[in-house]
Amino acid sequence: MNEFYKKNIISVRNLDKQKLELIFDATDKIIDMSQDKRREIARGKTLGYLFFEPSTRTRLSFESAIALLGGTSLGIADATSSSIHKGETLGDTVKVISSYCDVLVLRHSLDGSSRFAAEISNKPVINAGSGTEEHPTQTIQDLYTIKKEKKKIDGLKIGIAGDLKYGRTVYSLLYGLRNYDVDLHLISPESLRIRSDSTYDIKKELSYTESSNIDEYIEDLDVLYVTRIQKERFPDEEEYAKVKGSYVIGSDMVKKMKDDAIILHPLPRIDEISADVDNTKQAKYFEQAEYGKYTRAALLGLILNENGF
Amino acid sequence: MEETDLIVRRIKNGTVIDHIDGGKGLQVLDALEINAEKGDVITIALNVPSGKLKKKDIIKVENKFLEQDDTNKLAVISPSATVNIIKNYQLVEKRHVSLPNEIERIFRCSNPECVTNSKEHIESVMDVIDKDGLVLKCRYCSRMLDVNQLRYS
Ligand SMILES: [Zn+2]
Repeated sequence: MNEFYKKNIISVRNLDKQKLELIFDATDKIIDMSQDKRREIARGKTLGYLFFEPSTRTRLSFESAIALLGGTSLGIADATSSSIHKGETLGDTVKVISSYCDVLVLRHSLDGSSRFAAEISNKPVINAGSGTEEHPTQTIQDLYTIKKEKKKIDGLKIGIAGDLKYGRTVYSLLYGLRNYDVDLHLISPESLRIRSDSTYDIKKELSYTESSNIDEYIEDLDVLYVTRIQKERFPDEEEYAKVKGSYVIGSDMVKKMKDDAIILHPLPRIDEISADVDNTKQAKYFEQAEYGKYTRAALLGLILNENGF
Repeated sequence: MEETDLIVRRIKNGTVIDHIDGGKGLQVLDALEINAEKGDVITIALNVPSGKLKKKDIIKVENKFLEQDDTNKLAVISPSATVNIIKNYQLVEKRHVSLPNEIERIFRCSNPECVTNSKEHIESVMDVIDKDGLVLKCRYCSRMLDVNQLRYS
């Protein structure tokens, strides 16, 4: 039996290197498979989704992944504005939707929402973003992209820039990188550094520098992971205006980077990577988005099939 | 007879919480929801000189017997406290409080964005990840909790 069968995916904290590699191998397998064979993997299976925060991108990634495997999907794309939400608790909604499907994908604005949903659901739950806590399938996709594009993860110099305090993808990525031997640099405005109450248990395994100045590291990085800086996270407009520009990656900055460095972004981007970067050879965020379909398909295939595929 | 016995009168039935870290007594009252409004007869001594600690607080509550949940709360506030159950002037049970591996229900998570602080029907669970360092983690949002900022539910 494969160890993901009927298991929840709530936190990257629960994914060690061996488990991550198992998903990466399964992803390679899916990419190499014929379309006919892929469609057998989830034939007759249904993915249910429940998005309390709209995220067209993540939802479509899951929907295209299950379609790739021959399965179907149903759910609520914006549960906060739909009638099901009025007065109904998350717990009740999860109970109802989980009875219609074989695996449930949940996005919710509260920290810990997926863990709670998993206790209530009688089907495995995949966390597709919980508050500012985690976004595990994004990390699987991110690490897979690094592995594909750089042929390895160990030994790389990785910079993560932007809003590190509230960015859920950042925490999941840190928990994931803990399994690898990387040289890590966290670059953010002082007020948006990572939360120590969310990283206390990884400090022993993962060392990193914290800095406000991207120029210190840009020339040496193998991977630059950029996240959005949201205006609403700042106490006032002035402070936002002050830091905003220093975290925008433009083609000038890319020129300073190594030739074989890669730039990643969980998307959607607003203006933290300017459009003229898209045509540089370092820009890999669109490839990253495409890999996400395959990593999610691999994960679904493992969760839905006792003996894998 | 110890000096402290002279300060606080003996009780017939109830609980004596002794060896509370000096100054934490009022916090203990709050956590255990011991208050005069309920009609409990309460005797409190604060900053009593003590050989074992430098200063300790003592609380005596008549006709109230502390239960396991209460003991758990004490372990977070003052791990050195002892709980003495008195029946008919006799000490019938002496407990040293100790941190359990998990603490259910009694504290609220300090993260306002945690699902346990929402309208969902859900009780908090904290995992004790370091008993010596008194490090608690919310099982739901995974945040490490500041024990000095825990709120009682
Ligand atoms: Zn919490």
